[in-house]
Amino acid sequence: MESNAQKLDQLKNLLLVEDRDTIAQLETKINNLEQIIQKQDALSKYVNPIIDEKIEVFTTSIPEKLGPTITETLQRQIVESQESIIEALYPIIGKLIKKYISQEIKILSDKINDQVHRTFSLSNFKRRWTAFFTGVSQNDLALTELTKPLIAQLFVIEKGSGILIANSSHENNVDTDLVAGMLTAIKSFVEDAFVKEEQSLELIQYELFNIHIQNFNKYYIAAVISGNFNTQFKNKLENNLLDFAEVNFKNSKSKPSKMVMDLEKIINNE
Amino acid sequence: MNKATKKIVLVGCFGVGKSSLIRRFVKNIFSHDYKVTIGVNIIKKEITVDNTIYNFIIWDVEGNENIQDLRTSYLTGTSGFLYVVDATRKNTFVNMNNDIDYLQMMYPNAKIIKVANKADLISVDQAESIFREKGLKLDFYTSAKTGENVNDIFYALGEKMM
Repeated sequence: MESNAQKLDQLKNLLLVEDRDTIAQLETKINNLEQIIQKQDALSKYVNPIIDEKIEVFTTSIPEKLGPTITETLQRQIVESQESIIEALYPIIGKLIKKYISQEIKILSDKINDQVHRTFSLSNFKRRWTAFFTGVSQNDLALTELTKPLIAQLFVIEKGSGILIANSSHENNVDTDLVAGMLTAIKSFVEDAFVKEEQSLELIQYELFNIHIQNFNKYYIAAVISGNFNTQFKNKLENNLLDFAEVNFKNSKSKPSKMVMDLEKIINNE
Repeated sequence: MNKATKKIVLVGCFGVGKSSLIRRFVKNIFSHDYKVTIGVNIIKKEITVDNTIYNFIIWDVEGNENIQDLRTSYLTGTSGFLYVVDATRKNTFVNMNNDIDYLQMMYPNAKIIKVANKADLISVDQAESIFREKGLKLDFYTSAKTGENVNDIFYALGEKMM
């Protein structure tokens, strides 16, 4: 007599035959998938096309979707880190400027050569004559003429307080009160820190400019000079400033308007 | 209208807020970032007091615990001093009376205004009580952060100089 268990098995065989087939198929599929996943080559055959497609979409959509955000972030970064950016760019810009200046000097030199060889003017004759007697080349003399010193600005400043009394300049592009104050602060610092007894700061060199300082009792005059600030020019300037002081600082101080007129004369006569 | 250019110097210990007071007065801004002043910074502002236009050349000198250690050349020719202390730090006002005596002796023509800054961090009553205890009398309680009384100290100096 068949036991209940055997009967149940027979019943299962009858009822679940399709399920068994399905399970067997699933097992086969899972095994195949396992093999694909575990073998890189087999997996890449299926996955690579999908990744390639996604990368292509990603590459084309990045500029559209992230572009504005990246631009905005970079702009903000530039604004917030200006000093760092300048620090990083400074050497590169410096080299470019240096290269540019070298090129410009070469062009200038060529022009001078050309001028020296071609022109028969009175100034050229004078230059040839000077070159003959002094031994200085005509090119150097022509270059000196081109880099002739010019007074860019004149300031009359009260000693100590640094208050600007009068000034004259070709261009009004600086805050003259602040320049007067800062010049006084620099002058005071240098005189306190480095100079002994009654010596005074007399010259500041700033990039392409020389700042000549002439001291008087209550005031000092600062002259901003561009070009080649040579001894001859310095002597002439000192004489002019002494004359100015004699007229304007003697006894009682002149009115600022009178000083400005006299300063303009000095600037325009140079 | 009369016009006059005057040199104003702010003196006081490190970190009392001299530069912040100037920034608030001239540019109406305040920053929590503390940058120590090295040497001197100069800035200017015009104000009108009654019938006079003052062109204030304001010298913001580096902080120093002993005023006599400051470069005298920075102080020469000053028309008005703002002596600034930090109302919350006692060590910034322990020498105040001696410093004021020194300024009055060395620069007898200069006007002086005594300012207790950072009033936003302490009540005026509390600060006054501390100063009274030390025998000190301040002219103004200011806050560079909120702007309280900042303009008033410069205008008061202008009035004193008239």
